[in-house]
Amino acid sequence: MSVTPAARSTLLSAYRPHTAGWDEMVDADGVVRPHWAYLAGALDALGLDELRERHAEVDRLLRDDGVARHLHDDPDRFDDPWPLDPVPLVLPSDAWSSIERGLAQRAELFSHLLADLYGPRQLLSRGVVPPEVVVGHRGFLRHCDGMHLPGSAQLPVYGADLIRDPDGTVLVLEDLAQAPTGFGYGLESRSVLSRVFPSVYRDAQVHGLDGFFRALRMSLADNAPDGVDDPTVVILTPGRLSQSYFEHAYLATILGCPLVEGTDLSVRDGQVWLRALGGLEPVHVILRRVDGWYCDPLELRPDSQLGVPGLLDTARRGNVSVVNPVGAAVLENAALARYLPDIARALLGEDLLLDSVEAWWCGDDTQRSHVLANLDSLVVRPLAPRPSTPPVAGWERSASDLDALRAQIAADPYRWVGQAPAEPSAAPTFTRAGLEAQPCIVRSFAVGRSGSWVPMPGGLARAVDTPISSGVGVPVNKDVWVLASEPEMVAGTWMPDAPLRVSTETAGAVPSRAAENLFWMGRYSERAEVSIRLLRSILDRRATQPGGPDHAADAAMAVLMGALWQLTGVVPPLDAGEIGTLDAPDDAAALRAVLLDGDQPGSLTSNLRAFLNAANTVRDQLSSDTWLAVSNIEGDLRLLRSPIDPDAAAQVAIARVLKSLLAVSGLVMESMVRDAGWYFLDAGRRIERALGLLRLLRATIVHPAETAAQALVVESVLEASESIITYRRRYRSHARTDTLLELLLADPTNPRSLAYQLDSLTTDVDGMPRVRRTRLDGDQRLVLEAGTRLRLTDPATLAAVDDTGRHAALEDFLTSSIESLEAIASAVDAQHFTHLHRGHMLVGEAHVVPDMLETVLP
Amino acid sequence: MSFHITHRTRYRYKSNVVTGYSEARLLPRDQPDQAVRSATLEVRPTPSDVREHRDYFGNRVTFFSVHEPHDELEVTAVSEVDVVHGDPPFNLLGPSWDEAVHHLRSDEAPDLLEAREFRLDSPLVRRSAALADYARPSFPPNRPLVECVVDLSNRVHTDFVYDPTATTIGTRIDELLALRRGVCQDFAHVMIGCLRSLGLAARYTSGYLETHPPPGQPRQVGADASHAWVGVLVPDVGWVDVDPTNDVLVSDRHTTLAWGRDFTDVTPLKGVVFAGGGAQELSVEVDVVRA
Repeated sequence: MSVTPAARSTLLSAYRPHTAGWDEMVDADGVVRPHWAYLAGALDALGLDELRERHAEVDRLLRDDGVARHLHDDPDRFDDPWPLDPVPLVLPSDAWSSIERGLAQRAELFSHLLADLYGPRQLLSRGVVPPEVVVGHRGFLRHCDGMHLPGSAQLPVYGADLIRDPDGTVLVLEDLAQAPTGFGYGLESRSVLSRVFPSVYRDAQVHGLDGFFRALRMSLADNAPDGVDDPTVVILTPGRLSQSYFEHAYLATILGCPLVEGTDLSVRDGQVWLRALGGLEPVHVILRRVDGWYCDPLELRPDSQLGVPGLLDTARRGNVSVVNPVGAAVLENAALARYLPDIARALLGEDLLLDSVEAWWCGDDTQRSHVLANLDSLVVRPLAPRPSTPPVAGWERSASDLDALRAQIAADPYRWVGQAPAEPSAAPTFTRAGLEAQPCIVRSFAVGRSGSWVPMPGGLARAVDTPISSGVGVPVNKDVWVLASEPEMVAGTWMPDAPLRVSTETAGAVPSRAAENLFWMGRYSERAEVSIRLLRSILDRRATQPGGPDHAADAAMAVLMGALWQLTGVVPPLDAGEIGTLDAPDDAAALRAVLLDGDQPGSLTSNLRAFLNAANTVRDQLSSDTWLAVSNIEGDLRLLRSPIDPDAAAQVAIARVLKSLLAVSGLVMESMVRDAGWYFLDAGRRIERALGLLRLLRATIVHPAETAAQALVVESVLEASESIITYRRRYRSHARTDTLLELLLADPTNPRSLAYQLDSLTTDVDGMPRVRRTRLDGDQRLVLEAGTRLRLTDPATLAAVDDTGRHAALEDFLTSSIESLEAIASAVDAQHFTHLHRGHMLVGEAHVVPDMLETVLP
Repeated sequence: MSFHITHRTRYRYKSNVVTGYSEARLLPRDQPDQAVRSATLEVRPTPSDVREHRDYFGNRVTFFSVHEPHDELEVTAVSEVDVVHGDPPFNLLGPSWDEAVHHLRSDEAPDLLEAREFRLDSPLVRRSAALADYARPSFPPNRPLVECVVDLSNRVHTDFVYDPTATTIGTRIDELLALRRGVCQDFAHVMIGCLRSLGLAARYTSGYLETHPPPGQPRQVGADASHAWVGVLVPDVGWVDVDPTNDVLVSDRHTTLAWGRDFTDVTPLKGVVFAGGGAQELSVEVDVVRA
């Protein structure tokens, strides 16, 4: 069957198929291949403009989901866009099943190969693989000798980059073994495209990915150490600056296991433990996303802050399983391609189903001659991948470059490999102009489960402009749709194919570091909110202030600006002069500092950045809607930092930030399970809200002022405390200090009052994990004391003034309350969070010479 | 020859260490020419966890961790070893060095395949043209490999000054070659670098050497030290050990602890400590007594 869909737009008719190689969509006669017919028709029916709209929708969903690659240190650049093509790559069911068989065979082969290289090394001693290919590879970790996993698959997660050459043969460009990444991105791409093209996706009958992720969960459980029925699995990430951090956090939510960093883990008594809230929890399986060399500073790189000292020895004892094993990087080896057919025959007694792109290892004289003679038509790459030594395409280099390369090869032949240039097939990729044929590399995966392999039906494709290697430049990603021969049952990632074991003890394990970040997330978001509310009432007052001198208004403004400094701690710009004498233009400069000065810790910009940092670190703890609201703040921060006129535009910008912050706090209230982590987040928020209120009152109400000015100040305080409407309704009077204090300090029904914050804090600290329940811990004691003091205080006595017109009693009360809230914050910190010191490396001992022996040379 | 060996390492920390993880290669390995009758490692404070394994090279490795506050860590290894070196077990007219290089390159005998690892660069030893040039006068065409090695050892011994202050663990091998100063570790690394730069297989061995007291004086306890020397693979013969620091072939007065590609593979003691630590003071005492 060959179908040329009736043209409904120019999208399809304008497509120019790939001429240099295989075109995935169109055959040599220019006819759309049968498995593309449905999608091609559907895209054509949408047309260019609609596809543009859908593309924008793809971008928007990815941004909302926080899919980003962290490639930089700029604090304001959180989300480098992760480009996803709205057009998937389509593969037919039958062709895919032979690729799947090839992937499974290769995964099995690499699994045996890994076992041999860290075991008997028969492939080396029998001369099947030249020793230098293995022992000369920097990923060969001698420390892992003799280690193996309890499961049947020694390499539980295998990945491969595939291309289709001009005659249609599928080849492996690269094998991935260390910590194959991309299946999480693949799942996210699928989730986005199925939302953007719901009916197309439904009708295309695409293989679902759930089975693969189910197999991954089972595979991790299969690797539980002997005697552990109910393993705790964690994902070990280098942290939020890692390029694929999104995927680490995403996998944590999909697999339902804690996302941890090296400092969250500790080795003791021959076990790995998670420093969880409330104590240490045993860890049995680690899905590793940290490079092998960095996993254990004791045995491997001593300068690593990403690993766990003692991890390797624990794995050696079989008390923890690291997946993939720490030494797996040796399999990411450019020379293996050459020897793989022989290895397959030696280890499996089979021929390879999927060939590698042809390679020549320079450690062998004959192969090296070939490479040197064809340098200008080969890709030359180091034996082990290194960011500092990217593959070189000989045909792109000058004669002198090639001479230099020749000299490098001659100096250390075994470190170099020549590879035939890849000529990947091309698939339609959406660009500004329409559909364009672009070369594609498909990454797919297989997961090992009790003697069998479960390949991912699909994966992630990358459309590249230079086809020489993977991982260079920023390619456009594509979802891969493998068409099902018949409609599939929808099962979902979570439906188990074996009785699902949920550990009640560890299901809620929150790493102590995550709890600390949640606490700070709460604190920073509330700090930002407090400063926005005061800023907003100041900006309102500036906007409504009548022209010309107005003594009361100026005096009130001076008090409010002073309060802003005290609340935020931001130091006004030097040229602003004395605070009390600020005139309007200088106020503007000062306000700009509060908004934008990222170098000052209390500015809105700093608080938002710190909030985003904390939120990023715990994104596996946040629901996807919460994350969506957090992502908005990233956008708001950018908007805030675009050049603004400090009045009109600032009003708009901070209103947006406030809206986003409110969305986050609403979702935190509505969508987060009340587990230990939630109580820390809420406690952080309550502490800062109380502190903001107390500091505001101390900076405004305590000091004597003329009645007219004082009235304006009180009004602004009520506004900034979100209580002005209640106040007017309840007291129907001119602003008075005693009623103000009644509403803002003592009223437990006002969610903005001190009483309300202390009541909530009581619930929060009671909800935090405790070792003993019979006596109060320090943080609980302090909260109880603060609440009791408030209850014993009569707002009327606080409202009294002394001879100078000062509210001295109020000032004392506010100051001591501020101190006790700061003490509560420190007590929570000291009581619950692990304070880690960096490890120091002690190296060796000095070697001293023995006394000289008489010469006894033969 | 039988030896009673005591090797004591003491770290003093400026402030308390709460948790410390260590890895020791301080227990001698059994070898055809060396029988270890007993070997124990004692650690103060008492570790909460101790485990021994054999590493990739077959060396004995002890992992231990201490989980109580301490400002001093003392690690004492005590071993009883019989060393049974006889006469040099090789024929000096064995293969010439150029034949040896050829065998190493192309012969697929298992022992030669295994030795090829020791021809490559290792963390502290990078091959170079300069090292090859330095070695070449000892390696005229067709000269028996063992003779070449003995000659090279003699030249290193003569050209290099023993100087404990000149180098650190971080001194690179090309710097050593220019400096011509160092300790036994440096002498061994230079010689290994020379041999590998010519295409030969060379390994690093750590161990001890019984020392003679100056005439008429009692042997001083603790005056001995841990030591290092070089092994070179002679095809058809096996590994031949030479001690360039003393310009001798390794005899029954050398006791082997461990071997590897260079010092990094056999570091006697290393550790990671948490909390405090700060500046540390290290002292090492080694005592080798004839039993």
